[in-house]
Amino acid sequence: MTVFNNRISLVALACAFASPTLFAADSSITNPTISAVLNGYYQTAERPLAETAEGFGLGETELAMSANIDDMFYGKLTAVVEMHDGETELNLEEAFIQTMAMPAGFSIRGGRFLSDIGYLNNQHLHTDSFTDRPIAYRAFFGGHYFDDGVRLNFVAPTDLYWTIGAEAFKGDSMRAADEHGEREFKNVGVYTLYSKIGGDIGDNSSWQAGLSYLRNENGQVTAHEEGDEHAHEVVEEGHDHSHAASYTGKNTYGADFVYKWAPNGNYKYQNLTLTGEYYRVTDFVPADLHPEDAPSKDYHQGWYLSSVYQFTPSWSAGLRYGEVDTQELHGEHFHGQKLKESEVSLAWHSSHFSSVRFQYTNQKGTNFDGIEDDNVFTIQYIMSLGAHGAHQF
Amino acid sequence: MRINSNVVKVAAAALSFACSGFAHAELNVFACEPEYAALAKELAPNASIYSATTALQDPHQVQARPSLIAKMRQADLVVCAGADLEIGWLPMLQMKSANAKVHSTEQGLFFAAEQIDTLDKLASVDRSMGDVHAKGNPHIHFDPNRVLTVAKALTAKMSQLEPSEAANYQKSLADFSSRWQAAIPRWEEQAKPLKGKKVIAYHTSFRYLFNWLGIEQVADLEPKPGLAPTSGHLASLLSRAEQGDIFAVVVASYQDERGAKWLGEKANLPVVMLPMSVGGNDNSQDLFSLYDSAISLLNGVK
Repeated sequence: MTVFNNRISLVALACAFASPTLFAADSSITNPTISAVLNGYYQTAERPLAETAEGFGLGETELAMSANIDDMFYGKLTAVVEMHDGETELNLEEAFIQTMAMPAGFSIRGGRFLSDIGYLNNQHLHTDSFTDRPIAYRAFFGGHYFDDGVRLNFVAPTDLYWTIGAEAFKGDSMRAADEHGEREFKNVGVYTLYSKIGGDIGDNSSWQAGLSYLRNENGQVTAHEEGDEHAHEVVEEGHDHSHAASYTGKNTYGADFVYKWAPNGNYKYQNLTLTGEYYRVTDFVPADLHPEDAPSKDYHQGWYLSSVYQFTPSWSAGLRYGEVDTQELHGEHFHGQKLKESEVSLAWHSSHFSSVRFQYTNQKGTNFDGIEDDNVFTIQYIMSLGAHGAHQF
Repeated sequence: MRINSNVVKVAAAALSFACSGFAHAELNVFACEPEYAALAKELAPNASIYSATTALQDPHQVQARPSLIAKMRQADLVVCAGADLEIGWLPMLQMKSANAKVHSTEQGLFFAAEQIDTLDKLASVDRSMGDVHAKGNPHIHFDPNRVLTVAKALTAKMSQLEPSEAANYQKSLADFSSRWQAAIPRWEEQAKPLKGKKVIAYHTSFRYLFNWLGIEQVADLEPKPGLAPTSGHLASLLSRAEQGDIFAVVVASYQDERGAKWLGEKANLPVVMLPMSVGGNDNSQDLFSLYDSAISLLNGVK
């Protein structure tokens, strides 16, 4: 996933993207849309499986370029610069093409892109109303699941929005731990299926509901040799930045919904968003595990509910509660563990393009990274430069 | 707002899609704003027309919501103001709806602002100026002469998409043009007392109306385009108003009245809420009554 691991100059990167004459407001064949997102924070404590470390830090600094390639194809490149442990890493989060002229509501996307499972997953982190993804996303998808692969999508010609899609991915970041490098992994590791429906309720409300299934051929843990302390070093070592899923299994089932409300459908002054997602990961137990070592629950699960209320054009407040309930392999035994996160955020928006956010998180853990009852305070800014593309519902 | 979308029509459209050739498929129009839904209705009375927004919604801040994706998926023609007014949501709808027919202005996509010269084009744009449009002011539907030019171009577009109906579209255009051209001098006569009046308004929503009728907008409730009025900015407007030459404070039907009301009370100025588009008040049922209503509301000041 890491393309370069060298120290690089942001300026050089920007210049590599485009000559200054390309910085125009319009997006066309000769004028790609170019944008950058700046993101920085201060956080009083570490959160498990999160991308943000304690203290001062930079979040994902994003550089994106997109344009219609011709009348048949659209292309987008999103590079993400991350700093940690004194290293600057450049990752490609998106590098995809999408068909624009297929008939009958079909489209194909190929390359590296965000999977369309769930509600939050296909959205960029900087559009979130909280400083990190819900714990369920951090545990099961490495924050957000993007990968190299292909997608076929269909939109039905109905007044009720209905879309259905299937994806196939390499799945490297979704592989079960393989400390000894002895396992044979399949090249195409992940397949997904998803469907979403949505519509309006009068002039004030809109909604969308989705179901998703993720098949992970390489997600089931294999039996470990003696001396294996932990199946998931990623978790035990804490901050890793690998974007890899920490808890995997063969099958992941998801359900999601979002409801948005604004008076007369006018989002300018006030609006409310309610979101919830649930994931269950099954078939993670090694096939040859002794029955007496089987975990008390044969699934991991996680969910969250969040509500964000924008009460003036300049201020919004959010509440989120999320849980994960997972089984961790220690030697030959599984130990149950649980984390609950309650969060409040308050954001000030000077304009559409800049936000400063204050967030309080209470983490209550049971056997989870030694967390018992932690309080985390975060202050964060997220600002976008240039012609930023539209955001999804 | 849904124009001409009663259950029978929707069912008929669905049926004709399901069994193509079953009936004559009428043009399926997706309008970004209600003024273009109304114009499409004048030019194609039999078309199935859907408006993505209402006059009570800020067209800059529309969500690319599922219902709009579903409607665009079925559209033969997408009619929008353009000049980047819909830049925050139209590209997302185009991508998500996977409808190749409406991706390009060479086919079923139509931007009104591309048919005319916009006012206030900017040579250079910087975000510190607020949410401005380099391609000029996109709220062009309150200039009757520009509307007429747009109507002609839209008729050509509809004829291009449905050559067999071209004669009917020309007939509708001729009918609309004659009624519209008859109305223009009447409106201008009615609005004569407004000429030279100075107003403070919210955003540049009525730039074309004021330009047409000779009204001068001397200050804006927004400190910068897209930004909400601040108390400091309102205070500066109050001192401007104290010069005593302001006729009224004008806001559009989707804009927040609070700043305008505060200023109106402090400076003892009337506050007028004008319909931003068709459906913006009870009297504005089509483009004609929209103009009638806006001019009579301005004439009704004090």
